[in-house]
Amino acid sequence: MSNREENALWSIFGYLLSGLIFWGGIGWALDRWLGTGFFLLGGLLVGMAGAIYLVWLRFGRD
Amino acid sequence: MRSLVRFSAEGEGFVPPSSNDFNLPPIFGDNAYTTKPILLVGLSVILISVFFLLSSRKAAIVPSKFQFAGESVYAFVRNDLARDVIGHEFMRFVPYLFTLFTFILTNNIFGIVPFLQFPAMSHVSFPYVLAIFTFVIFHYVGIRKQGIGKYVKEIMFMPGVPKAAYVLLTPIEIVTFFLTRPLTLSLRLFANMFAGHLLLLVFILGGDHLLKGVIGLKLISPFAFAFGIGLTFFEFMVQCLQAYIFTLLTALYIAGALADEH
Repeated sequence: MSNREENALWSIFGYLLSGLIFWGGIGWALDRWLGTGFFLLGGLLVGMAGAIYLVWLRFGRD
Repeated sequence: MRSLVRFSAEGEGFVPPSSNDFNLPPIFGDNAYTTKPILLVGLSVILISVFFLLSSRKAAIVPSKFQFAGESVYAFVRNDLARDVIGHEFMRFVPYLFTLFTFILTNNIFGIVPFLQFPAMSHVSFPYVLAIFTFVIFHYVGIRKQGIGKYVKEIMFMPGVPKAAYVLLTPIEIVTFFLTRPLTLSLRLFANMFAGHLLLLVFILGGDHLLKGVIGLKLISPFAFAFGIGLTFFEFMVQCLQAYIFTLLTALYIAGALADEH
């Protein structure tokens, strides 16, 4: 695997993880606060979508 | 499986390897600075220094085998890692990358060297410290190169995106650069070394225990040892790969911080 591919691989992994941690975390906190159960799932989905958008912006555009 | 372990634990007292096997007591009295991992790290520093001092001392145009070995490692880090990844400013970072690579590699390989047989990086604090060094260096380099305002702005705002999308994207970028990167860097190294050492313990201690059992178990024992030996070679590969990946990602992060746009 070339260095460039290695870079892309780990960047994508980092983005996906960060998206899930941040927005999933916010959803989880909202669920705890409001006593609901759907914000965690929503947050995870939003985080995943944002991360995939970022991956596309960085690696898919050119 | 569970019941088998418990059964043998009741019989002869086989204790399956666990994370407790990584918490070794101090070797000299109560001094907490003399545990095996710390002594091994010290030993690795001495070995690396002696090796490269000796191999570069009588440098000749036609190198001896010893000099050639030392220079190959140096050339690998300088050319394949630093120059190819970072570009024309690479020379400044070669000392750090070279130290990082040899240090991690030596300590990882200690995991399969007979009698030493412990990878210090399976204690999470060691990779944490290395990741903190990398973290500080690549942010410092980026701030020095571009100024703090521009550097932070470039991390936070990807160009060519509708303004509303920044609400969604900026937190992800911040978490990536300041949390996920150092965390994955250290945890990948730690987890690989931890799991590898545990795997070897399972097969070799297990084989040893089978050997003490009844005749049927004795016959199985060689297979456990054979697996242990096979896995030792596999571990050697993982150990080299992890040292390489840690150094490569450090170089990539530095390159990213130096680049004008990411």
